[in-house]
Amino acid sequence: MSPANVIKQQMASLWCAATWRVFASGWIVIMAGWRSVAMLWRPALCCAIGLTLIAAAAALQPGRGIAVIYPDIGEPYRSVFARIIEGIEEQTRSRVPSFAIGANPNMQEIASELRRQDIRVVIALGRNGLKFTSGLERDIGVVAGGVLSIPEADARNISVHSLAPDPGLLFTRLQTFMPAAKRVFVVYDPNQNTWLIRLAREAARARGLELVAHEASDLKTALLIYQDIFAKANPQNDALWLIQDSTTVDETSVLPLVLRETWGRNLVFFSSSVTHVRRGALFSLYPDNVEIGRHLANSALGYLSSGGQGPRGMVSLKAVRLAVNVRTAGHLGINLAGRQNFDLIFPEQ
Amino acid sequence: MPKTPLKLVCVLGVLACTVANAAQVSEEEELAMAYGDKATVSIATGVRQDLRRAPAVATVITAEDIKATGATGLDEVMETVPGVHVSHTADRYFSTYMFRGIASMTTNPQVLMLQNGVPVNTLYRGDKGEVWGNLPLENLARIEIIRGPGSALYGADALAGVINIITKTAADTPGTEFGLSAGSFNTQSAWVQHGGKLGEVDVAAYLRVGGTDGYNGTIDYDAATRLNQRFGTHTSLAPGSLKTGHDAIDASLDLGYDKWRLRAGYKLRDNLGLGAGVSYALDPVGKEKSERINADVSWSDPQFARNWGLGFNGSYLAYSEEANNYNINPPGIKIGGNTFPNGMIGSPGRWEKQLRVSGYATYSGFAGHSLRFGVGHDDLNLYRVRTMKNFYLDPNTGAPTPDLAFNGGAVVDYSSRQPHLLPHRRLNDYWYVQDEWNFARDWTLTAGIRRDKFSDFGATTNPRLALVWDATVDLTAKLLYGQAFRAPAFNDQYGVNPTGDGNPNLKPERIRTVEAAFAWQARKDTQVNLSLFQYLQSDTIRAVANAVGTSVQTFQNTGKQDGHGAEFELVWDANRSLRLTGNYSWQVSTDQTTNTDAGYAPHHHVYARADWRFTGNWMLSPQLNWVADRKRAFGDTRPDVPDYTSVDLTLRTERGKGQWSFAASIRNLFDATILEPTLFAAPVAGRPDIPTSLIPYDLPMPSRSFYLQATYSL
Repeated sequence: MSPANVIKQQMASLWCAATWRVFASGWIVIMAGWRSVAMLWRPALCCAIGLTLIAAAAALQPGRGIAVIYPDIGEPYRSVFARIIEGIEEQTRSRVPSFAIGANPNMQEIASELRRQDIRVVIALGRNGLKFTSGLERDIGVVAGGVLSIPEADARNISVHSLAPDPGLLFTRLQTFMPAAKRVFVVYDPNQNTWLIRLAREAARARGLELVAHEASDLKTALLIYQDIFAKANPQNDALWLIQDSTTVDETSVLPLVLRETWGRNLVFFSSSVTHVRRGALFSLYPDNVEIGRHLANSALGYLSSGGQGPRGMVSLKAVRLAVNVRTAGHLGINLAGRQNFDLIFPEQ
Repeated sequence: MPKTPLKLVCVLGVLACTVANAAQVSEEEELAMAYGDKATVSIATGVRQDLRRAPAVATVITAEDIKATGATGLDEVMETVPGVHVSHTADRYFSTYMFRGIASMTTNPQVLMLQNGVPVNTLYRGDKGEVWGNLPLENLARIEIIRGPGSALYGADALAGVINIITKTAADTPGTEFGLSAGSFNTQSAWVQHGGKLGEVDVAAYLRVGGTDGYNGTIDYDAATRLNQRFGTHTSLAPGSLKTGHDAIDASLDLGYDKWRLRAGYKLRDNLGLGAGVSYALDPVGKEKSERINADVSWSDPQFARNWGLGFNGSYLAYSEEANNYNINPPGIKIGGNTFPNGMIGSPGRWEKQLRVSGYATYSGFAGHSLRFGVGHDDLNLYRVRTMKNFYLDPNTGAPTPDLAFNGGAVVDYSSRQPHLLPHRRLNDYWYVQDEWNFARDWTLTAGIRRDKFSDFGATTNPRLALVWDATVDLTAKLLYGQAFRAPAFNDQYGVNPTGDGNPNLKPERIRTVEAAFAWQARKDTQVNLSLFQYLQSDTIRAVANAVGTSVQTFQNTGKQDGHGAEFELVWDANRSLRLTGNYSWQVSTDQTTNTDAGYAPHHHVYARADWRFTGNWMLSPQLNWVADRKRAFGDTRPDVPDYTSVDLTLRTERGKGQWSFAASIRNLFDATILEPTLFAAPVAGRPDIPTSLIPYDLPMPSRSFYLQATYSL
């Protein structure tokens, strides 16, 4: 980083800290004087708070050479990106300029703004955020997040933090719930998840598990494979893993089949998708958005400090939280009493 | 069953039409694979949960749900809960939450209100306090509502239902948010909330200042009119307008460090109008103020040792209510042969404090069992009472008498001579044990019992049984039995009031409830819940005339009521942009003393809402509320309370940090006439022309109203 940038960064940090102190002081004053002031001049207080926030908003200055590009998307996913950006700003300890990409973004305007702010690395979130970076100048680095996977050829030149939970972490959890687990079945589309299965094979081997991974390039084939798995799986030692795969994990045909068969056969079924836990999967790991932001920020900072020589390729999701279905656990005879370290519990009542 | 109103059909039609319009985006499809559907994302971005499958019929309302309703306070949110209808009393327009047809209609002591698990019911009335003034919502992470008995875990007052208000922690409200709102009836508020870290300590803080002039509908006939009609005087202020405004300050602080949590809260309501008057005679003058300060410290470690979890909580709550010159009856009023030239004026006040300590342990060392033990001690002290008034109660007849001879009709201090309540302190020691026994695959029996030993009215033991069967991957069935009680409120025991004199020999009010509940995931996008219930409420505490023909009443354990009904809930995620939620509740409650309908509560209640996200950040949430078939109480000759259908509309946009978010709501869009029933009053002998209620035309509820809100996040 150039000395000028370091000074700018320090100035920004000091400015932010000062702003927060002023801000906090104002709040304390309000707290202290609320009783007399508020009851008499309610509207005045409303205005005071309004002015304070405008002043505070104006005082916050962006810093560093990092920017975020993210899709202009509705709730609830908007909050997901907001949390990721929050994590990025926490890690960089500065306000990072962020650009929401709508349906028809003005590429030139954003690109010139990036140049004006001396942005050297862009954190691209979501499919649209990533798409936008293809038009950026070559000297601007890209760290991608908020996507499940991209073609491996495209990931060679950038660092992609996938939303697919790390297989190793999933298998570790599986062994906690099911110490007797020996085999894990999975059905995947090689066009989407070859990279993930490669990681999964290594992770399974490292944990003494056998990964039985079946390829299926269409839904019909996948359904036949699932039927075959149910016929030969042994509930004592086997488990089924559903991954995020639009070909082999269909919500209307595969999921109901898997739910029905695994419940009926008392077969452990876990998933990379948290929504499946709501339906009846034993557990899943799902993204910790703030932590993802921190990881992305670290990658971007690494890119800056290494002079553009950061790591490349797909990285599985390691910033995870744990969701468990206690009803399914009870059905499978897994005693969860005394284990309270779950982030999300289904059913909700 | 009454006919379904046309508006209901129209609105449901509009809701259905939006299904076709909702858009789907490929980016969203990918995110849905990672984060799940909309409902899952909302909770997956929340905070860590406790592991507890409630053996009860429960509803959880999230912060997201709260926003979608466009509600301005807890009272409006409670109306959306299956089996619950929110009515109002004439005095102060106090909100009463009727659970499954159980409605006391003057106070609301059959419902236990908890804030972060700590009771906040007041000692004087046993409910959330007569100077309630609603509760703002910005700082609420979620609301957990149990319909049915809860005394086996929560003790006193968890008779008809339990409401647990969970406030936001640092994790729920990261950053700083400012908000401003304004709306009809000169309603304004401003708030700020912040969540973050101070070193290793998680900090969440909230401050809100607000106020409203309140709905000012007209009362055409009040209690004074009735007296005028009876005695030929002309003193009533009716027709006249309601006074339902108040000023409000709410604040809270939440600190978390490792396994420790410290919470503190403040709630002030000032200049609270008295609705249609404390004795149902319009009072344009009187005001009330309440102040609540609470704090609690807790420590919990679910994995303290192998198979053991431990925790404790200590809490303190100070609460006061002070009236400022109630005009109980207007000048010139004539009551029982006495004339009050200055009217009846009073300024009562009460101060109480509640100290509670409790601890629990969990043990999971026995195969198939999950045990929970708890002990606790409550020190409940209503330590000061102030009674200022310009009249006294005749020691022989109980009749109010103007204090003309001694004080010339001026308001003077009666606190020592004739207080309206005697100070009282109640101690309670309790223990409970609960076992969740997984006795066969897919079968769990939860058995719990709690014993409370009170220093004044004795001991009570309340069991709870819940049999849960996970029948299939999509269907869970529960069979539940529970007993619960509500403790006599201090006013019931030690009040000095001719319309309800205290009785220190009261026993607790009781209920026994049987419930069957079914939760069915009908399709991947459709959840259906059905609950059936039957209850028998006994030893109900009511004010009863001391002798035939006298108006002086004393509280007695005299009432008995049974009821049965059903609640049906549906949640349908039509697509990623549209969610439809709704519930239908049906109940029949019978007063066994008269073998007639218990009255007041609706037999039929429908609530439906659509949450439609469109063009990115915008959400439109129309909602409909249909309340029908409310009978009068025994002896009340008035026609049934009119049904009503109200429609609200909320439009909001939520944007990220550094941007403004807005919400706009129209409540009661079609300006429906909404009336809540007033109490029955005994007929006057030989005067059939005098109505059987002090306010015979019921209580008008707010007409069409508008609210705007802006928030800014940093």
